[in-house]
Amino acid sequence: MAKRLRIAVLFGGRSVEHEISVISALQLMLAIDPDKYEVTPVYIAPNGQWYTGPELLERAFYRGVPGCLSTLQEVTLLPKPGIGGLMKLGGSLASATRAITHDSSIIPIDIFLPVFHGQYGEDGCIQGLFELANVPYTGSNVPSSAITMNKYLCKMFLKVHDIPVLPALSIARKDASHDIAAVTSWITSQEGFAQFPLFVKPCNLGSSIGVTRVTTREELPSALAKVFKFDTVALIEPCVSEIMEINVSIRDHNGAQASVVEIPVSQSGVLSYEEKYLRDGGKKNGPSQGMASLTRVIDPPDLDHHLRDQVIAYGKKAFSLLGCSGVARLDFIVDLASGKLYFNELNAFPGSCSFYLWVRSQPRVLYTQLIDEMIETALNTFAVNSSLSRDIGLQALK
Amino acid sequence: MNKVTVFLYAAGLLYFGWRRLLSYLRFFQQEEYSKPRFVEWLKAKRAYDRRGTALAVGIAILAYTTHGGWGELLLALTGTLGFLWIVRWTEEDPRTSGKIKLNMTIRATKIAYVAFGLLALLVSVPIGMSCFSCCANSTPFDTFAFLSVIFVQTPPALLMVANSLLWPAEKALQDNYYRDAQRILRETHPLIIGITGSYGKTGAKAALGDILTQCLGPTFWPKKSINTVMGITRTIRETLKPYHRYAVIEMGAYNIGSIKRLCDFTPPQAALVTAVGIMHLERFGSPENVYNAKSEIAQALPADGLLVCNGDSPGARRMAHEHKRQTTLLYGLDSTAGNLDCRADNLIFDDKGSSFTIHWQGSTYQARTPLLGRPAVSNILGAFTMACALGANPAYAAACLANLEPVDNRLVLERRSGVSYLRDAYNSNPIGFTAALEVLKTLKAQRRILMTPGMIELGDQQAAENRRLATLAAGAADIVIVVGHVNRDAILGGLSDAKFPPEKIVTVNSREDAFNWLKAQGCAGDLVLIENDLGDLHEGDVRF
Repeated sequence: MAKRLRIAVLFGGRSVEHEISVISALQLMLAIDPDKYEVTPVYIAPNGQWYTGPELLERAFYRGVPGCLSTLQEVTLLPKPGIGGLMKLGGSLASATRAITHDSSIIPIDIFLPVFHGQYGEDGCIQGLFELANVPYTGSNVPSSAITMNKYLCKMFLKVHDIPVLPALSIARKDASHDIAAVTSWITSQEGFAQFPLFVKPCNLGSSIGVTRVTTREELPSALAKVFKFDTVALIEPCVSEIMEINVSIRDHNGAQASVVEIPVSQSGVLSYEEKYLRDGGKKNGPSQGMASLTRVIDPPDLDHHLRDQVIAYGKKAFSLLGCSGVARLDFIVDLASGKLYFNELNAFPGSCSFYLWVRSQPRVLYTQLIDEMIETALNTFAVNSSLSRDIGLQALK
Repeated sequence: MNKVTVFLYAAGLLYFGWRRLLSYLRFFQQEEYSKPRFVEWLKAKRAYDRRGTALAVGIAILAYTTHGGWGELLLALTGTLGFLWIVRWTEEDPRTSGKIKLNMTIRATKIAYVAFGLLALLVSVPIGMSCFSCCANSTPFDTFAFLSVIFVQTPPALLMVANSLLWPAEKALQDNYYRDAQRILRETHPLIIGITGSYGKTGAKAALGDILTQCLGPTFWPKKSINTVMGITRTIRETLKPYHRYAVIEMGAYNIGSIKRLCDFTPPQAALVTAVGIMHLERFGSPENVYNAKSEIAQALPADGLLVCNGDSPGARRMAHEHKRQTTLLYGLDSTAGNLDCRADNLIFDDKGSSFTIHWQGSTYQARTPLLGRPAVSNILGAFTMACALGANPAYAAACLANLEPVDNRLVLERRSGVSYLRDAYNSNPIGFTAALEVLKTLKAQRRILMTPGMIELGDQQAAENRRLATLAAGAADIVIVVGHVNRDAILGGLSDAKFPPEKIVTVNSREDAFNWLKAQGCAGDLVLIENDLGDLHEGDVRF
């Protein structure tokens, strides 16, 4: 048997979507081919500390966090090329630094697989650490992750490339907290924003946390204040009254490939965090399966073919323009009144890795295969990047 | 044979003693390891051991009628199993049961182990003696069985002795922590805002911490009702970070001087006084002493400090008048008592919270909050005034109020299978109770139910105040469930004064019984106000 590739699956993290990341990672680790890969689970606790240990494969373990973390091995990844894996941390920073010189203190890792949703994991932060450490990793790189995480920048970028997006405004927290009345007046004076309802949402968060559907001008300040509990930038969009969402997953495997599309079913007009992740979960129906448990129609047979083709075409185009890699999910909305289609957002690492779409696609892609291909792509990208010439010798300093 | 018999019985006795120590430790911990308060509780509740004593007496009597041999062995075995049965099958483990469980902190663990060591020492003395000598008329087991009657009563005393023995080391440790917390404070140097009040300080603290974080910058505030030097020390060491720009510290007055000690520890540049009332009157003796104790916070402010007081509370208004600082502001809901710098009116309660209009520095701001009741609005208004005085944009601060989260168990509305529950289960007081009744009366419901054990710690006014509130309750509730015995007579008296139909009164012994009643009799459309929860120390009987 060929030597198994040692893979670190990183999840959790300092994001409001911490728990969803854990669910996605547990699903992913179950699907990984154990004949090919040796998995090291790496849990990043809400306080930012990294841990590893076989207990992390058990869902029940997380109920004891943070108390149970003391039973795990604390690890870290240093931003230093050539270490070859994760470093075990001892009791103090001094001993941790000493540990660099001892091979027994290194957990060898061949490739890193980040399974994060939201800030610090899906926005280029951890990807930056991988780049500094010069290690291969799956998914999108630093600039792609960063721009797709910022909903406003992403929209504005795609807009200039003729992908239709709804108008959007971005408001900085410091401006709002300085003079909310002026900010409110400015918003309502902008074209298309005098009419309510409007959607107010955090610019850099997913999972519908902090989102408010504002129906009157008076509600606007508190909706902005709610966003600024979670993010420093708020995104404001007009609310499409008759809305249908269409999502598609795109992956790069011999070029951009599209999955079947899905139509998530919302009970309240906007998918709340509870609807996205908890509606089918909770005690009564067993543990939540994250995005995979959402009520949805996958590959609806009666969907207008033209609309579906548009979603797939825009999806592939956006994925390529943004330079994404791995598996992403692109969310579109259709204004049912006008029939117009708009790009809404791109998840650089979607909940449940969108495996539920790929298993229904033609040709069918099983989750195990999806992971295989993500790893293969990541190794190829790493090889290409490693072949780039970076050393031109000291010239200016001589 | 004799030795085996004694050892067997001693083993059962020690196991029983260990569990008893833990059971008492749970209450000793709730009384904050205070010897006088624990003794007072023991006396008030007559929480002496009964079951163990009855068993030990029975075994001792039988031991005198049995003379050695297999009979004694059988008796010892019966006693051991009896002790085991009492603590394992008739009582719950204090570490895992009860409203406030025994928290095995390092201090609690040390006390438990030392107390057990003392018990083991006590038990080993007669065992040791019995090994070497024996009275002429009795077997060693007789003597031991007799002494065990005394041993089963010792756990409360042993806990107190253990606590005293450990105190020097504990004090040294606490002093170290104290100095460490002071160092962290010096290095972080946040602007400290002290909050005190006979009630409302925890709610005001949470609201202020949240508003300051949203409007001005990272703010540190100890969660829940942590308001003692040790509690704050611990929180500072664990959660105060270098990026915190503000620190909101709740200062509890347990006696004259306690706020001063807190102010020496965390010197405030600004202070918020939510109320000066009659809560904890028993500890202070007179309303004037309460006022003096609370005033320590205003006295601790520098001359250029900022003092914000609740103008609706005569005591707090008096404090603002007597301890004027560079900026002294009054807030309130009722301007009949005098000038208010920040005022709220047009209060409306609904199932989504409270809405109101704030008047501040010549402008008005429409505000909404998910929190319910006048006290909550008053606390929020105090926090709003303080935040604005510290430089927050008033319109933004008002907008932030919509995103405040209710502090646990303080007039929180929950719905479960069609029944709405208004939980107001923390340290009820006359003002909070009145406000809760107002909300109960205002919200839409088919049937309004009040469930309460009444209020405590109101000194000699306790009976009168409970009676008065029961009269008010008669006008707000359709059914009243009176929990426990502490205030039962006063509440029934008040309901009777108001001619409340007796068939609409339910008396139960415990909170659990009240919930069982609600489970059986409650129906969709009911609104249940759960007013006060006395906790293990005061509610129900403690029987060992």
